[in-house]
Amino acid sequence: MISRVADHCFWFGRYVERAESTARILAQAASFALDAELPPGQVWKPLVVVSGEEATFGDGDCDGELVQRFMVWDDRNGAALAQSIGAARGNARSVREVLSSEAWEAINELHLWAASDTAQKAFDHEREQFYRQVRRGTQLALGLLRSTMLHDEALDFIWLGVLLERVSQTARMLDVHHHAFTHLAQRHEVLETALWLSLLRALSGSEAYLKRAGGRLGSESVARFLVSEAAFPRSIAYCVHSAYDRLCDIRPPDRHELPGGAALERLRVLDAWVDARRGEPLSDAAVHDLLTHVVDEVHAICETLGKELLGGA
Amino acid sequence: MAQSQTQGGATLFSGYPALPGTYDELFDGAGARPPFARVVQLLAAMRPEDLGRAQALAEHALLQQGVTFSVYGDARGTEKIFPFCLLPRLIAAADWARLERGVTQRLRALGAFLDDLYGEQRALAAGVIPPEIALGSAGYRPNLRGVRPPGGVRIHVSGIDLIRDPEGTWRVLEDNLRTPSGVSYVVENRLISKRMFPRLFDAARVHRVDHYPTRLAETLRSVAPHHDSPNAVVLTPGPHNSAYFEHTFLARQMGLELVQAPDLFVDGDRVFCKTTRGPRRVDVIYRRTDETFLDPEAFRPDSVLGVKGLMRAYAAGNVALANAPGNGVADDKGVYPFVPAMIEFYLGEKPALEQVPTYSCARDDDRAYVLEHLGELVVKAVDEAGGYGMLMGPQSTAEQRDEFRRRIAAEPRKYIAQHRIELSSCPTWIGERSAVEPRRVDLRPYILTSREGPWVLPGGLTRVALVRGSYVVNSSQGGGSKDTWVMKEGA
Repeated sequence: MISRVADHCFWFGRYVERAESTARILAQAASFALDAELPPGQVWKPLVVVSGEEATFGDGDCDGELVQRFMVWDDRNGAALAQSIGAARGNARSVREVLSSEAWEAINELHLWAASDTAQKAFDHEREQFYRQVRRGTQLALGLLRSTMLHDEALDFIWLGVLLERVSQTARMLDVHHHAFTHLAQRHEVLETALWLSLLRALSGSEAYLKRAGGRLGSESVARFLVSEAAFPRSIAYCVHSAYDRLCDIRPPDRHELPGGAALERLRVLDAWVDARRGEPLSDAAVHDLLTHVVDEVHAICETLGKELLGGA
Repeated sequence: MAQSQTQGGATLFSGYPALPGTYDELFDGAGARPPFARVVQLLAAMRPEDLGRAQALAEHALLQQGVTFSVYGDARGTEKIFPFCLLPRLIAAADWARLERGVTQRLRALGAFLDDLYGEQRALAAGVIPPEIALGSAGYRPNLRGVRPPGGVRIHVSGIDLIRDPEGTWRVLEDNLRTPSGVSYVVENRLISKRMFPRLFDAARVHRVDHYPTRLAETLRSVAPHHDSPNAVVLTPGPHNSAYFEHTFLARQMGLELVQAPDLFVDGDRVFCKTTRGPRRVDVIYRRTDETFLDPEAFRPDSVLGVKGLMRAYAAGNVALANAPGNGVADDKGVYPFVPAMIEFYLGEKPALEQVPTYSCARDDDRAYVLEHLGELVVKAVDEAGGYGMLMGPQSTAEQRDEFRRRIAAEPRKYIAQHRIELSSCPTWIGERSAVEPRRVDLRPYILTSREGPWVLPGGLTRVALVRGSYVVNSSQGGGSKDTWVMKEGA
């Protein structure tokens, strides 16, 4: 497949995943803010930090409305929902011939809707519906990709983008919240339970976690679930391992004459490293170090991929 | 819903105000034209509000599908749908048979002319066309003389613009032999027609158009320099090009890769594509880029666009380009008046299609006539398009006529002149008045030429001047399109 096309596929996957994730996280925070007896900054600021756009947001007031407007519409914010949808659609349009018509129409319709007055009105008056609509649109696109496209290289690159984006989202969410919660002035059991559940919900993982944990809820077991649960499609272990599988299909390990060897090796090493953490105790400090390592490695892998397979972009 | 029966209220064509002195495609003085009586009757049963609703649904569907063109000069990258009128333009089987024969004949002659011009130049020696007109054309590429295209085909894809005069006679207005666009709208418009008027369409017995991409892919494969599974690609200037939708559409429908110039490179006079698995050989390029941007080495040394060395690979016979570079000389406005003579010279046949009578200012007696009748004629500069460099005689001022008189005297070769033709009209839905009114139309059929010769898609792009009283069908100036229904024999 043409390197430029592979590049657009990869970024299309990343942006769709990012849009879905942003909508989910904002919706969950809005719901959580209603229950938690916490200052607004403590609920909302972590979301800005997770997006990596803290500097753009600035040090001013921080309440739910400001953060949501910033995270949904702000032109200055590269991680804003509207920007992610626009970028997903722009990448899709650049490789229109590669996508199935069904998947293209799903993302095009989402883009047209997000730019319409209807979406603005939904945001202003029916916030919950707004996020729901974005999530349905992105989930529909992700589902249609798998059910209507050839399962070959183009889909492998899209999915590689989805998975690597998802690793970063999970790692950052866990790191920021873990940091905030373990540094609460006073640890209060009821509040802590609510906090962990909220984090799990923001990652679509509360039901899955409760099934695995049998009702027990604690900082180490939540962290362990989000890092190591092999059967949970948003855990770091699952995403890194699946990303490695996708890259093995794109660039088989025994085909040494093909480009992509360095990225493949680096991803293999990260997969093995995450796997080896399974049995180790996860102290608060260990969680932070682990997540930092994962985020840094994923960043480096994406750069290597760009040089080796995506035309140097 | 779109086909519910009339209950009292106005029918679709009641009070249809035919234009005086104009041929209407659907109606003559006595009512619907006989070959279309059944279809028109079914259409007429629709209420205006039903058609209005169907029209709005159709426009919404086109937008959602992204069947759009990019608006140039708009920094935000705005995309618009190509305005579309659901009321089809109908063509009778007998008319189509004549058109098909005429455009096929024309394509054979134009192909022979290009082979000759880039070869022996017999037609110039025989006086069929003045050498200064052919060799002086901006589309003539002297550096391609002696280069035989792989497969022997030069005009793989063409669009011939036809109009119909007040007597109903079809006339060729212009040939498009470089990178004609619009065929994706032919296919997409048909999908919308079928969705909106399923029963009507079923009753009408219309030739299908959806196999165009398959035929195009066959045409491309037929000219590959070698025949064991040739690799053909579609070359686009990119998403900002106004025809980008069409490029993606054709690539998708043919299952070919859509590439941009930076994706390609030339090594040892062979063309390769940069892929995630290393270089892959390219055998055929359906290029939708202007030829001057194909290869900076050959055409524009100042340009950074294009694929360096592509023309050397082409000249070496290692890659087929569709369409061949150098075709512009054959669709030059200055060459157009000589096409009927070419048909007789190369084929020994009488032209089956009329042209618009054209005066070539390079010829002494034509020039004398033009200078005497400037007030009645449309004068066009041969190397300009899109309505620029034109004198509309009937609406011109004395100063403008004097200005053109001077220009023609200075460079007679640069100018041709024609009488203005009253383009035929077709019933068209006018949304803002919720009514059907006549609007002027042209027709662009698409012709594919493979090693086996030309094939005409039974359909075509009907462009319609949506602005009342306008003769301009271009989408940039208020033009839209209609689905074109070519009726089957005995339908």
